[in-house]
Amino acid sequence: MTAVTGTPPSLPLFDLRVLPEDVEAVEAVYRDGRLGMGERVAAFEAAFAEQLGCRHAVALSSCTAALHLAYLAAGVGPGDEVIVPSMTFAATANAVLYCGGTPVFADIVGPHDLSVDPDHVEALVGPRTKAVAAVHFGGYAAPVERLAALCAREGLALVEDAAHAPSAQLGDRKLGTFGFAGAFSFFSNKVLPCGEGGLLATDDDTVAAHARKHRSPAAAGLNYRMDEPRAALLLSRLARLEDDIALRRVLVRRYRERLAQLDGVIVPYRDDDVELSSCYVMPIVLDEVGRQSAVRRAMRERHAIQTSLLYPAVHEFTAYRERFPGISLPRTERLARTEVTLPLFPHMTDVEQDRVLAALAEALAS
Amino acid sequence: MKLDEAEVDAALGALSSGWLTMGPRIQAFEAAAAERLGVTHALAVSSGTAALHLACVAAGVRGGRNAVTSALAGPEAAWAPRTSGGDAVVADVSDVLVPVADVLRAAVPGTAAVIASHLTGVPADAAALRAACDARGLVLIEDVTDALGATLADGRPAGCAGHMGCFSLADGRLGGVGEGGLVVTEDDELAARVKSLRSHAMTSVTWDRHRGHADSYDIVDIGFNYRMDEPRAALATARLERLEALTKERRAAAAEIRAAVPAGVTPAWPDGLPTGAAPQAVALVASDEARRDALAAALEAHDVAAGTWPGVFADAAPIAAEARARTVLIDLGAVETAGLGAATVARVVAGA
Repeated sequence: MTAVTGTPPSLPLFDLRVLPEDVEAVEAVYRDGRLGMGERVAAFEAAFAEQLGCRHAVALSSCTAALHLAYLAAGVGPGDEVIVPSMTFAATANAVLYCGGTPVFADIVGPHDLSVDPDHVEALVGPRTKAVAAVHFGGYAAPVERLAALCAREGLALVEDAAHAPSAQLGDRKLGTFGFAGAFSFFSNKVLPCGEGGLLATDDDTVAAHARKHRSPAAAGLNYRMDEPRAALLLSRLARLEDDIALRRVLVRRYRERLAQLDGVIVPYRDDDVELSSCYVMPIVLDEVGRQSAVRRAMRERHAIQTSLLYPAVHEFTAYRERFPGISLPRTERLARTEVTLPLFPHMTDVEQDRVLAALAEALAS
Repeated sequence: MKLDEAEVDAALGALSSGWLTMGPRIQAFEAAAAERLGVTHALAVSSGTAALHLACVAAGVRGGRNAVTSALAGPEAAWAPRTSGGDAVVADVSDVLVPVADVLRAAVPGTAAVIASHLTGVPADAAALRAACDARGLVLIEDVTDALGATLADGRPAGCAGHMGCFSLADGRLGGVGEGGLVVTEDDELAARVKSLRSHAMTSVTWDRHRGHADSYDIVDIGFNYRMDEPRAALATARLERLEALTKERRAAAAEIRAAVPAGVTPAWPDGLPTGAAPQAVALVASDEARRDALAAALEAHDVAAGTWPGVFADAAPIAAEARARTVLIDLGAVETAGLGAATVARVVAGA
């Protein structure tokens, strides 16, 4: 970790705007006084399921909770393995450990496609494999059709970590509907945010019933419920989700046009992919290792622009190195040392975006 | 649950700010809770269940170690030793009318912690338990998921005598915010452990990175997402202001209903609730199961939810099982939410 200044950025990585209509929707809940899971949670679940085109949506306290319940429903327990990408937030793997299972890490495709590599996944399938998790990085589709076919053939559960990808698509089908279950995040920096929240989507009646039962503590000691104020906020924001994503796409296309002219930068995914992505973040990949920290520091310290790193590789975290030493995933490790996530939020202005681009160009030139 | 203007304003102010994940309002809530409860560390978490889970992990209840729980405890406390990766030893209660378990006596080799439940807001003798736990090298976890607002015989708030106290801020609880919880402790190491594990054992959180205090993070243990968010923290802070007044209302409501019992029914703690109780529910014990079912039916007919003691693992505990079969539990939070007054409930009880 690099030393940093402690100066708040004038241009943040994400900027959540809550509109008066959102506040009104939540105020109605507070005035009513029934804050525990009830009719608003049910209404949000129905609306989300319809928007996604799946049979069941189960609102939860977080995406971590959704992943945990998905693995549990898939029967993951002690001795079982789940193949997961390492290029993800740690929850994708942590939730396997909650079940007593073992995460087995797969590499990514490469700097142009940050999804889990289906060939590597296939090679890792063994007698103890119970499930495969695919992350739709940044809202761009992982190769879920191929993974779904593999899982069907091998009798495995495909869990889609769709934390980044509400309303994103592959072909004409929404992400999160290709597998056994899809896990969504409503964390505050996400495309559809409520603070802390998540959701499990599935077409399987048994999986949905399992999740509904296990989100309350009597079943297994877990409290993964969402409450009414958060559901009201999500219901209000869901109505604007497509508009927000449309704004993100305009910004991403503009980023891509201008970044194409910049030497030393790889822009993952193809221009055509933007149309179907939820455009959660704007990742770029530096073509040299060893510049990532300096570029990020220059952008922050000289231009007060916040960037991020999606992600440090999970298998390289202290907690994982201690438990699972000796793992080598060259493409993931290189990405973790070259990726820079640029600011992106629906109401970002062209002027702000140009500031980011100018700062990046300067940082790369120095 | 009726929120006042200050409470609604606080929550909506946090929402309107646009900063929703753990930040300044969590810090303010934790400071306010620590001050009110007279403890060094108060850590906001997503639920009382999360609080007890984290407390058991921090107490080392895993890998062959166990924790003792009462047979009559909420599912949060009943499950926590298992969700943390250890075993649970279930202690039966000693009396149907005073349904408290001697959790210390039930300790066995391998016991790392005992969980003392302040059932329905009736304070357990946590001060004596703490002294005994210290003498035996056990961790005392106070299950105060029902007991925010309750005080011990020595005047200290319930939850603050143990090594860790685990509160719930669920809807219907005193100080409730929808879903929420709190872990309190005097111990710096336990606090650091809980604080780390509530947010995936990450070495920095989003708020730190937003303010430029960190630019990446390591993950040093297998943690969880047990974070509370800012609107709930703002609401929780505002709700603490009314805690004393609401506790008094609960005491009055419980007294009114307890005084109304008909023949064949006795209120639990028949000699009277301790003065420090913050009643979350009123427990009425019938002479037999049929009498209990008749009382429950009368209440249900008037839209008063009539449950019994929680006890997911109570079947193997004979006195607890009998207590569950003979007790009607009237949740005062549910009574408030349904807009029923204590007087109405008391009338139904008296006529049953």
